Amino acid sequence: MRDRRAFLKTSLTAGAFAASGLTLPGLLRGARAAEGPLVIGAPLPISGAFAANGKYASLGAAFAAQEAGSVLGRKVSIADIDTEGKPAPAARKVQEAMGQGTRLFAGGILSSEALVMGKEVTKGDGVFITTAGADEITGSDCNRGTFRWTVPTFGAIAQTVRPLIAQMPQAKRWYTITPQYVFGEGLLTAAKAVFQEKGVEHVGNSYHSLAEKEFSGYLTNAIAAKPDVLLLLNFGSQSSDALRQAVSFGLKKRMTIVLAWASGLEQFEALGADLCEGVYFGAQYWHGIDSPLNKALVAKVRETAKMTPNYSFAGSYQITRLLLDAAAKAGAADGPAVIKALEGLRYSGLTGEEEIRAADHQVIKDYYLLKGKAKSAMKDKDDFADVIQSGKSFLSPEAAGCKMA
Amino acid sequence: MTYLFQILNGLGLGMLYFLLAVGLSIIFGLLQFVNFAHGAFYLLGAYLTYEGVERGLSFWVAMPLAALVVAGVAGLTERLLLRRVYKLPHTFHILVTVGLALVVQETVIIVWGPIGGNVAPPEALGGVMILGDFVYPEYRLFVIGFTAILAAGLWWLLDRTRLGAIVRAGSESPANMALLGYDTHAINTAVFALGAGLAGLAGALAAPIRGVEPFMGVEALGIAFVVVVIGGMGSYAGALAAGLLVGIAQSLMATLWPEGARLVIYLGMAGIIMAMPRGLFGRA
Repeated sequence: MRDRRAFLKTSLTAGAFAASGLTLPGLLRGARAAEGPLVIGAPLPISGAFAANGKYASLGAAFAAQEAGSVLGRKVSIADIDTEGKPAPAARKVQEAMGQGTRLFAGGILSSEALVMGKEVTKGDGVFITTAGADEITGSDCNRGTFRWTVPTFGAIAQTVRPLIAQMPQAKRWYTITPQYVFGEGLLTAAKAVFQEKGVEHVGNSYHSLAEKEFSGYLTNAIAAKPDVLLLLNFGSQSSDALRQAVSFGLKKRMTIVLAWASGLEQFEALGADLCEGVYFGAQYWHGIDSPLNKALVAKVRETAKMTPNYSFAGSYQITRLLLDAAAKAGAADGPAVIKALEGLRYSGLTGEEEIRAADHQVIKDYYLLKGKAKSAMKDKDDFADVIQSGKSFLSPEAAGCKMA
Repeated sequence: MTYLFQILNGLGLGMLYFLLAVGLSIIFGLLQFVNFAHGAFYLLGAYLTYEGVERGLSFWVAMPLAALVVAGVAGLTERLLLRRVYKLPHTFHILVTVGLALVVQETVIIVWGPIGGNVAPPEALGGVMILGDFVYPEYRLFVIGFTAILAAGLWWLLDRTRLGAIVRAGSESPANMALLGYDTHAINTAVFALGAGLAGLAGALAAPIRGVEPFMGVEALGIAFVVVVIGGMGSYAGALAAGLLVGIAQSLMATLWPEGARLVIYLGMAGIIMAMPRGLFGRA
């Protein structure tokens, strides 16, 4: 029941923001548009298997809007758009929002939905900034209107699998469990390349669908392959389910478990310290990061919403803030002006100094490797893990295959 | 050897699926009522167990208590709301129960938050059974055994007791039962509470395996419908056979063709609908 009051309170605030956003479309048309509020569309999976991430992300966007207050003399407002975590509704609803005048979008948690939304928004001369992971988003499918804050799958593997191979030279057999869509494929391809380079044996992989909840069958496959390391390449509740079931099968005692792309604090809260102890987690964000913006955000969210920002919240906060800062810098809220302001932007971000690479619209930032700690070693209720390493790993825009039109 | 373990694993899954589906099947079979809120009762059972364990109750107390509370809530809902739509077409059943499911789901989010949580298996069953190179969680073994006993008890209750006969007669001919002096309203309430209570129990038993999260009811509802459709609407034996079939197929597919593990379930259902529209054990 933790944080439920805080969640409810913050939800109500976010709801008020969203509601105000919903009444805007009419105002945005025609001559009165400039006087109306500045609407940021937040296309997120508010329902479906990834709704927990979507709901926190929605709070993060609302928090950024509330903090900004007004930009260019216009009150900032967030319009929540429920993508259901699926590409088709995501594309349709973003089109509708654009039809009503929204041009700036911050959201898209799943790679599959982010890819289609980026294309739709670009077609309409808007800007879409996302936290989704597939390399393609700022790689082979990059485009003028799409930006990405998170480290893509290549960097996530480089910052988790590489240091762990170095740390555990005796662990020669790795098994992977992969969701079969663009994000999982990206992580798997990157992991295979590292295995090959380092002479590590990839003893097997189990693919599963994006709707899967039951992992016992895949875990039985993994056990049969007798690996030293189990590498989970899924995300959100799927990675929580896979990890929970792996621990119940006693795998923590038999092998090292690594979750390449964890969803951060919310995942630790859902699983509990006992389950996470000794497990390695790759992370885009951790509330303990020592940067001025992060310290300020954590203090402010703890004070006002009585919760600690998690990855979904923080990522969404950061990308919404980036859009608002860019609009302020550009002195205009139209797509081309905001794109220009974002390209090459260096700023003090949640993970320290961050930079938006102009060639492919990828933010250059740190990725973190965490290790779950014992309940008895936790200093406070959020202190689930130690950051054991961090760093930046990115393909060059050319290697990622980005040809910006 | 891997296949053998996938079958064992599938058996465990199948028993859980049976428990999930049998309540839905009973409610449809006896009340002719399509209950889309079934997954919500499963969700509620899981969360009440979570809350009980978080508050320091033993799992052995929290689990049956959760099922009883769910049965109580369901009985009350039947009396106050669902009874009013029995005589209306199925579309109204769907409308009301989908609405109910959404209300339960959003209430869970407001009370417990959107993240979900973990329920540790009871200490005595926290270990694993080791057979050569393979391992199987003791708690899952317990679920297989417990559900098997429960299945036998349920069959006995509905098929071999006077109470079961009254319930079945009530569904066949409510007017005659009323003429004989039986309170058919009370029978309906009891049947609905039993069906929903079984979903609550399935949720409670699943919590240590799956954890709890606010959207678990939607997935459970899907599986329950697949099992009921394959087994035959209202058929008790059908729910058991189909539950096991789906569980074992899903588990075996994880080795044979992992990408298709879920696909095969729905393809199987489509095949059964085409070849045997009433399902494996459906009544004419």
